[in-house]
Amino acid sequence: MHAPSPPSLRLCVNGAVHEVGVAPTAPLLAVLRNDLGLNGPKYGCGLGECGACTVLIDGVAARACVIPAGGVVGREITSLEGLGTRAMPHPVQRAFIDEQAAQCGYCLNGMVMMAAALLARDPCADEAAIRRELSGNLCRCGTHVEIVRAVLRAATNVAPSGAHTP
Amino acid sequence: MTRRADAPLTRADFHAARGVLLVTRHPPPPPVPVPGQPAAVPANPAEGVEILVAVWDDGSVTALHGHVDLGTGIRTALTQIVAEELDVPMDRVNMVLGDTTRAPNQGATIASASIQIHAVPLRLAAAQARHWLLARAAARLQVDVAGLAVREGVVHDAAGGRSITYGELVGGDHVELSLDPGTPVKLPADYTLVGTRAPRVDLVAKATGELVFVHDMRVPGMLHGRVVRPPYAGADHGDFIGNTLESVDESSIAHIPGIRAVVVIRDFVGVVAEREEDAEQAMRELRVAWRSWPGLPPLDDLAQALRTQPSTPRRLVDEGDVDAALAGAAQAMPRTYVWPYQMHASLGPSCAVADWRADGEGGAARMTVWAGTQNPHVLRADLARLMGMPDLSIDLIRMEAAGCYGRNCADDVAADAALLSRAAGAPVRVQLTREQENAWEPKGAAQLMQVRGGLNADGSIAAYDFETSYPSNGAPTLALLLTRVIEPLAQAYEMGDRTARPPYTLDNLRVTVNDMAPIVRASWLRGVSALPNSFAHESYFDELATAAGEDPVAFRLRHLQDARAAELVRATAERAGWRVHTGPKQGPQAGGEGDIVSGQGFAYARYVHSKWPGFGAAWAAWVADVDVNRRTGEVQVRRVVVGHDAGLLINPAGVEHQVHGNVLQTTSRALKEQVGFTAGERPPAQSARTVPVPQAPPVQNLEWGAYPILSFRDVPVIEVLHMPRPDEPSLGAGESASVPGTAAIANAIFDATGVRLRQPPFTPETVRAALQSSVEPQGGDAGAQARPAPWPASGGTGTETRWPWGAMPPRTRGWLARGLTMTAGVLGLGAALLGWRPAIAPVAPSTSSPYSAATLEKGRRLAAAGDCAVCHTQSGGTVNAGGRALRTPFGTIYSTNLTPDVETGIGLWSFSAFQRAMRAGISRDGRHLYPAFPYTAFAKTSDEDLEALYAYLMAQPAARAPTPAPELTFPFNVRPLMAAWNGLFHDPAPYQPVTTQTPEWNRGAYLVNGLGHCSACHTPRNAFGAEKSGEPAWLSGAFIDGWEAPALTALSRAPMPWTREDLYAYLRQGYSRNHGTASGPMAPVIEGLQALPDADIRAMATYLASFNVPAAGESGSTPAPHAEAWVAAAQTAAPPPGAGQRIFDGACAACHHDGDGPRLLGVNVPLALNTNLHSDRPDNLLRVILDGIREPATRDIGFMPGFRHAFSDAQLAELAGYMRARFAPDKPVWRDLPAQVARLRQLPPH
Repeated sequence: MHAPSPPSLRLCVNGAVHEVGVAPTAPLLAVLRNDLGLNGPKYGCGLGECGACTVLIDGVAARACVIPAGGVVGREITSLEGLGTRAMPHPVQRAFIDEQAAQCGYCLNGMVMMAAALLARDPCADEAAIRRELSGNLCRCGTHVEIVRAVLRAATNVAPSGAHTP
Repeated sequence: MTRRADAPLTRADFHAARGVLLVTRHPPPPPVPVPGQPAAVPANPAEGVEILVAVWDDGSVTALHGHVDLGTGIRTALTQIVAEELDVPMDRVNMVLGDTTRAPNQGATIASASIQIHAVPLRLAAAQARHWLLARAAARLQVDVAGLAVREGVVHDAAGGRSITYGELVGGDHVELSLDPGTPVKLPADYTLVGTRAPRVDLVAKATGELVFVHDMRVPGMLHGRVVRPPYAGADHGDFIGNTLESVDESSIAHIPGIRAVVVIRDFVGVVAEREEDAEQAMRELRVAWRSWPGLPPLDDLAQALRTQPSTPRRLVDEGDVDAALAGAAQAMPRTYVWPYQMHASLGPSCAVADWRADGEGGAARMTVWAGTQNPHVLRADLARLMGMPDLSIDLIRMEAAGCYGRNCADDVAADAALLSRAAGAPVRVQLTREQENAWEPKGAAQLMQVRGGLNADGSIAAYDFETSYPSNGAPTLALLLTRVIEPLAQAYEMGDRTARPPYTLDNLRVTVNDMAPIVRASWLRGVSALPNSFAHESYFDELATAAGEDPVAFRLRHLQDARAAELVRATAERAGWRVHTGPKQGPQAGGEGDIVSGQGFAYARYVHSKWPGFGAAWAAWVADVDVNRRTGEVQVRRVVVGHDAGLLINPAGVEHQVHGNVLQTTSRALKEQVGFTAGERPPAQSARTVPVPQAPPVQNLEWGAYPILSFRDVPVIEVLHMPRPDEPSLGAGESASVPGTAAIANAIFDATGVRLRQPPFTPETVRAALQSSVEPQGGDAGAQARPAPWPASGGTGTETRWPWGAMPPRTRGWLARGLTMTAGVLGLGAALLGWRPAIAPVAPSTSSPYSAATLEKGRRLAAAGDCAVCHTQSGGTVNAGGRALRTPFGTIYSTNLTPDVETGIGLWSFSAFQRAMRAGISRDGRHLYPAFPYTAFAKTSDEDLEALYAYLMAQPAARAPTPAPELTFPFNVRPLMAAWNGLFHDPAPYQPVTTQTPEWNRGAYLVNGLGHCSACHTPRNAFGAEKSGEPAWLSGAFIDGWEAPALTALSRAPMPWTREDLYAYLRQGYSRNHGTASGPMAPVIEGLQALPDADIRAMATYLASFNVPAAGESGSTPAPHAEAWVAAAQTAAPPPGAGQRIFDGACAACHHDGDGPRLLGVNVPLALNTNLHSDRPDNLLRVILDGIREPATRDIGFMPGFRHAFSDAQLAELAGYMRARFAPDKPVWRDLPAQVARLRQLPPH
């Protein structure tokens, strides 16, 4: 039996519209990585448990490994690459680099994306809020201390001046 | 920017280049074979000299080192070393690590030796290059070398004011220097770069998604592979290895597109597809039959398993007269400490890409492999052996991978990729799944430490007789075993001796290692055997101190002769504010404020690595402050102060990160981590397509819920004290800080509680049990304290009458069938007489619809409201073309084709025929329809609406699709019987408004009871499959298709009443903040309702809400509960933490929390309000966990994965049981959960 060619999906990723010939049930993570050549979102568990695959969907953090690509047609998808680049890093990426907040760096994508989503929502997030927000993201190397520092630094960079003054 | 330093890909490229200065070395002679140590592969002489440093004519530098960066930052530290010795900026150095065709062969990246030992030749080479460049500059400038200075790769003649760059000095020449071990290197006092917190060289690329990781490697024409592993995960020896495959049925994946290869070599099975998700699907669906295998030995009692495992004792130390001293001891203190199996648990499951080509000379094969190995040359030798190729035909390119902390599956997957690439004739990327990585990774070995020792009457230590058992080896690469290229022998490594000698001065000391083969596949994990050995030493010395009535730190210092260690111990204790004590602060029975007790613990160790007696890496000491909750058993490590002496720190930031990482990983291992194994004979296993439930692998921790690691919520405050030793050689820092950690935590728990724990992990239930067993029995009420909420031991499961068209307990089915059989005879005759109905004349098919656009649009909405397409569309089939199988207890029937196809659909149906079908359940040809088609409800629809619906259906494209014949058994296959049924149970009259109710209520009633046919699912049925009529049965909840359709009336078990607002929100958005989310068969219903205007949804909500008013007499007596109060009440009644809670926290809590977790896509309705948690049956909860939510009713809801493949029945039962107790504490426990899980697992996903 010859399977019919998969239908085409129009996905809006990092500000551009992409037409990809994949089944709507294909995981968004696979489509982002294999069809769009993105490296940021990583496969970690396929169950939405570790957060390595995190992307933003309409600005909200989402686990790309458990989302069927067909389910996010018409929504704005942002990956690590869409956040910033080597030449123009996002303030959160800048802060992670400045704080050296990685050991192996495999979890880095998820940490950065979660932090970016948090700070977009709450530019004045304190350490408790940061820990809460990252509580569903795993890091096996034990870089937690540097990661929290990086997000706090990013909060300082992102927040409007004086926002931290009560 | 292209640098010359980045260009060469092979040693030959370096040798052939012009404009380069090389420093090379002859490969060290093959090491003397050492039994029981990690494999070392000698350099192949054919590869020539090894290149250490290349300085190019553009001023760039290539530096090469045989180790790899496992996430520890050695790429940065080594870059600093080279840049320092050469006096060039770091960004001018390309640090090549591990590639077999470029880097020197320096063995495996293990034992924290990359800097301490293996950076020495690199430093010398860089220094030698600098000396040569300076000498050439001196010659060129005709000055003395002493008058020259180098800054950033430019040689300056201070006196003459002239300068010349390294690039210019190299010029167009090709110069090769052989490494001179006597080359002088810089003095530490002159360092400007080494010793600084230089930024990580790899971080910008990683933070912006550039290509760094092997997981991201893509090559043209690359295909995607997956492996199908045998059922014996965790086993690595025994004749069944490589002999267990029975058959592979390739036709089972014929429906999956783009399959390029199915590879079967003995027990190695793999698939290759063009797309990754297709390879993944093929992996899950390939029908593979495996024979039975003996199973793993029992590992529940680890100490016993280790005692009985065959071993060879190896005496390392025997000083003084241990036996005599023990015989004379005043206080004998025999102790046993047990270390559990643990995982590397790399965050990224292993991945590799291989490109095998037969395009060499004379068709000879060559292969390039991109891998995340920690042992490139050994892996290359393994690949050569596996593939029958010369090692020099393989280029192994080492790319970064997720941190591995020891031997994980990185090498296994590279071998998998090689086999699949050869079979597919194309480059293949293989990614292991999380489950495969966890099941198969060589575990960090369990370990048994037994101490015979004690005190003399004067409080001095009589003797210390230490015996350690370590069942581990190097974990041969899996494909070699599965294909039986090598024999699966039980082989022991001699690696249990790391830090086996305690660091204290003891007059009578004996140390014995029992070398033993693995029980389950095991290999080194950070701290290797030193970490468990030190756990025993440092726990025991704490026990000795307490027995001697001395402060634990003072006691250690009294026995510590190593001055550097003693200084570290003192400094660490002082920094931590060590509280001198001679016994625990609290006994288990001590009073005190609240449940929390706190304690402080100390431990010290030096990691001694490599073959006994080995080398010492950095010294480390811990002071841990912990809080212990005596009621729940939870241990919180609040603060850790670590003293660390690693000599000269190349990069203090890097060392600090390693210390932090070691502290956090060790805290995680001490508190949470343990691998469980299912032992015993394993019957034949087959894939899901021949047997509905594949055999669970014997490794029980396949995902992060079952193998939890430290979360951001648990991170302690960490203070690092670096001992300032800039003039001492650098020592390995990758593992040292982990080694004393577990004992420090155990000692702190002892200080807090008076209870001594000798086997990690110190989980809440372990601590609770230890506290309990140490308390004298107190009238049997001790257990009650740990249970805050009373749970009735049993609970009613409610009515057993269930909707007959779906899954139900077999007992009920039999009863229903008997009921029907008995009555069939009585009804039979009349039915035969009554059952006949005439056909209605066919109408001529028309090509254009006579109906107005408005009518067609109305019909479209009505069709959506009636969910026609839900039942009349096959999965993946044409909308409304029918053929969907509806399983009923009476057999399977198939939905009909509703498209206007003349032969197979309703193309010949007149409106009258359609109207009769909808009202009376009779097909155009006069046949009776079965009431799986809910004409009993549709009959209520007005003629006007029926006509619009008819108009709509007839205007849709025709699709030819014959309806399969029903598969019913007698008497259910006698359609005319339905006439009698209709006579008894069906009222064909259209809906009549209730005059005492509002128009809105009546509109709601019309929709709910008519096209909406809510009652079809939500009302229980009688023995004849008819909805029970009248209250309280009506809409009181039933089962459909294996799902519970909960009560829609005041009989609802939901903690919050269903108000009009809640019902509206649920029907409109697919979820209610006070009840939960539509899932299972309700999801497409909500999707259909999206077509209805708001007014209709409000009307339905108004109507249904009118049945949720509390019964008379109750009204007003108890105010409706507040959602927040309910959630809070459930929180306070939380059951004691245990395995179920851990699974929940790891697998569910990121999305499902009470507002104290992350914000992730999708709605998060507090589970304490979720109707499914409060139901009498766990079915809906379990089905959602098994198969997730893949097609949510509305976009707000979000997606949920299915956990079918990740959880065993026991784990699902544990999880569901916990969730019931945690979120519905007022409800009875769900009984027989494992059996319920097993039953529901058989149902196909909705």
